[in-house]
Amino acid sequence: MKEAPARKVLVVGLGNPDRGDDGVGPVVARELSGVLPTDVAITWPSGDALSLIAAWSGFDAVIFIDAAAPARTPGRIHRFDLAKTELPRGLNYASSHALSVADAIGLARVLRQAPQDIIVYAVEGASFACGAPMTPEVADAAVKVTGRVVAEVARLRQSANELTADA
Amino acid sequence: MATRTIRVDYLARVEGEGALDLQISDGRLVAARLSIFEPPRFFEAFLRGRGYMETPDIVARICGICPIAYQMSAVHAIENAFGVTVGGQLRALRRLIYCGEWIESHALHVVMLHAPDFLGYPDAIAMARDHGDAVRSGLALKKTGNDLLRLLGGREIHPVNVRPGGFYRVPQRSELEPIAERLKMARDQAVGLVRWVATFPFPDLERDYEFVALRHANEYPLNEGRIVSNRDIDIDIADYESEFEERHVAHSTALHSLLKRRGAYLVGPLARYALNFDRLPAGVRALAAEAGLAAVCNNPFRSIIVRAIEIVYACEEALRLIAAYELADAASVPVEPRAGVGFGCTEAPRGICWHRYAFDADGTILTARIVPPTAQNQPSIEADLMAVAAPLVLEPDDVIRDRCEQSIRNYDPCISCSTHFLKLSVHRT
Repeated sequence: MKEAPARKVLVVGLGNPDRGDDGVGPVVARELSGVLPTDVAITWPSGDALSLIAAWSGFDAVIFIDAAAPARTPGRIHRFDLAKTELPRGLNYASSHALSVADAIGLARVLRQAPQDIIVYAVEGASFACGAPMTPEVADAAVKVTGRVVAEVARLRQSANELTADA
Repeated sequence: MATRTIRVDYLARVEGEGALDLQISDGRLVAARLSIFEPPRFFEAFLRGRGYMETPDIVARICGICPIAYQMSAVHAIENAFGVTVGGQLRALRRLIYCGEWIESHALHVVMLHAPDFLGYPDAIAMARDHGDAVRSGLALKKTGNDLLRLLGGREIHPVNVRPGGFYRVPQRSELEPIAERLKMARDQAVGLVRWVATFPFPDLERDYEFVALRHANEYPLNEGRIVSNRDIDIDIADYESEFEERHVAHSTALHSLLKRRGAYLVGPLARYALNFDRLPAGVRALAAEAGLAAVCNNPFRSIIVRAIEIVYACEEALRLIAAYELADAASVPVEPRAGVGFGCTEAPRGICWHRYAFDADGTILTARIVPPTAQNQPSIEADLMAVAAPLVLEPDDVIRDRCEQSIRNYDPCISCSTHFLKLSVHRT
């Protein structure tokens, strides 16, 4: 029986590497280069969120890694499976010219241009100062998120048939 | 005496932070104040002591949507001070990258930010359920504009390839050909956008604006021209301060720009269009007529049509520039600093962006002055709000609020440039 091709997966690291803990997304994305299978696309864009709608075109699944505003515990990792839950709207700043990632996902879903699976890893940051390094707590979290994304990618690459069989 | 207050903490779909206060007394609107409380950003201060070569990359950080406007005004001012002329294909490439900025900025505002106002949706996501094709066109246009910025500027946000004298690297002709194909599609999408927005319901409002824009001998203005108005202004950009002044007002951290002799004036698409209609290609003028526009448009709500017309123009101009493109001998012309003062003024998507720098002999900036378009439009926004809200004072607060927000968005205000924006309060006594 012919083996089903792996599902197409995109990994996106969001954030500004020059703003302390905000750089956790690009740090994890860079770390994953050379670690993930070669058919997995990795990017850490600097453009606006709307451009993501074009970037994820043709992918079955996308994983975002981003920093979150301080809440309770610096370095705490949150995982959102957007097939099961919405991104907390409070995470968005209502800016006009730079629409948020949640806006881009919402818009893409209405236009039927969103990947089937969207997973978001958000790491609570503590310091977002210009030119600052990541705090130790977030640096530790980056290592953990890297490992979790490797496992997540392996799961998401499985074909729909394989996922059904696993279930 | 009854007092009634409407408050909107932050107006969405405009850039930045501020507030609008409407004062209604005895059923009459007595004041409309745009209160910008975003902290000043001090760009003019921290440019002092920096070298002229750093300037384009520093001023690009003023805005993520219109960085080219700041870069272009800066490099023109630097070259003006040092006696440098950039011509030929380098000049054409500057015009081309500016077309990219107009396309991405206008497409974002027309479709994602402003159109929902006219069609009664809270945002573009809700609008997309019923107007998917228009939103797809808007996204495609924005992407094409961004692609042009990335190709010529190195990246679409805060480009890094612009320098005094030209560019750090210029593209091969073969690099421009793929984007020309996308621009042809973009042009058709933009024409569709014009026809779509022309069907919107427009409030009936005519204002007697003094329009101010650049005017060039034979081009629709982007990088160069004289500063003109529909009254009696026709001056070199170096004489800007003879006619215009900035005043600090207590309710805004962004300086208000005014005509010394007459007060408020308007910059941006409506002004550019009115003062340069004859510089548009015949086909674009015909499209404007088809969309119901005369050679001058005084209805601020119809600025959405003019923006769409300018997207069509920018696509056509970009295609014309690419068709005529030949690789320049060098990516830049030599620039030798000298002591002096230089002026730059270019047409940002939201209107003229005026710069003045004084340099010492080695090109270090001694003083800088930057006048962004939204700062210039603040008094005009307040005058519009008076005209819009006055007939509505007996309407419910949410009707007044929605119409005022729509009026403010007529300007595509970029408060992060001027400094930022918006909560709305209506005080009734």
